[in-house]
Amino acid sequence: MWRRVGRVEEIPPGQTRFYWAGSKPIVVANRDGRFFALGGICPHRDNPLDGAQLWGHLIDCPWHHFLYDIRSGENYFPRNVYPEDYPELQKQLRPLPTYQVEVRESEIWVDLE
Amino acid sequence: MGKVARQVVEQAGVNVDVLIDKLVRAAGAEFTTFYYYTILRVNSIGFEGEGLKEIIEDARIEDRNHFEALTPRIYELGGALPRDIRQFADIAGCPDAYLPSNPTDMKALLNVLVEAERCAIRTYTEICNMTFGKDHRTYDMALAILHEEVEHEAWFSEYLSEGPSGHFRRGAPGASPYVRRFMTADIA
Repeated sequence: MWRRVGRVEEIPPGQTRFYWAGSKPIVVANRDGRFFALGGICPHRDNPLDGAQLWGHLIDCPWHHFLYDIRSGENYFPRNVYPEDYPELQKQLRPLPTYQVEVRESEIWVDLE
Repeated sequence: MGKVARQVVEQAGVNVDVLIDKLVRAAGAEFTTFYYYTILRVNSIGFEGEGLKEIIEDARIEDRNHFEALTPRIYELGGALPRDIRQFADIAGCPDAYLPSNPTDMKALLNVLVEAERCAIRTYTEICNMTFGKDHRTYDMALAILHEEVEHEAWFSEYLSEGPSGHFRRGAPGASPYVRRFMTADIA
C-alpha cells in the first residue's frame, strides 16, 4: 500500500526525517538525491530514529549510535565487533525493515507492504 | 545548577533537556568504555599485544577523564547522573566494547577499539554541532574531547595499517592534553 509521507524539500541531501505513515513510524534518508525509507524504530531498544544522522550510506541511531545500512536495513555497527559467543547480543542486531520509495511530483511515496 | 548558566543556553535556542540527555549518554559511554578498555588492555599480550597495551591505557585513562570533565557540566545545566549505575550503563550512548570471542586475536581487538572511538567521534561531533555558537562552554569542552577521540581513533587505525596520522605518544599515560583544563578537581 503506497502512502505519501512528505515532500523532497523537507529532506536535504545527507539528512533524514522521521514520519508517521498512519500508525507506522518511518524514517526517510536522502543520500545524494536518492531516497531510502526504513522502519523508524531502532530494534536495539525500540527507540525512534527521530533526529538520526546520515554518515554516507549508514543511518546513525541517536540513542546508542547503532548504525544501519540504508540500502539493506542491516546493522553495520556494532555487528562488526560484537562477539558471536553472546547470543543475547546478537538479538540486538536485527535489521530495520526497508520500504520502496518513489518520488512523484516532488512528493515522497512509500510502499508500506 | 547554575541558573543563568542554563538560561543563557536556553535563550540561545538550545533545547537544554535534549542536550543534558546527550551529555549523560556520552558520560555513560565514557564510563563503560573505561571499564571495557581495562579488560581489553589486560588481554593485550604477546608479540602483537604488548606494543598495543600502552596506547589502550592512554585511551582508557583519557576516556575516564572525559567522564570527569562531562559530569560538572551536566549538573551546571540542571541535569544529573542516574542514581543507579545499571541504568547509567543501559543509557550509555555507544555500544559496549566487548572483548572478542577469541581474546588472542589482536586484529579483532583493535577493531573493537577503533569502532568505539569512531562512535565517540560521532557523539561529540553531534554535540558540537548542537552547541556551536550557542552554548560556548559545552561546545568548548565537547571540542576538547573530540580532539582526543580523533587522536585515539588514529592510534588504533594506524595499528590496522589504515594510514598514518602524524601523531606520537603521550608524554605521560592518559595526559589528556586537550581535556585536562576542564578537570580542575583532578589535575593540579
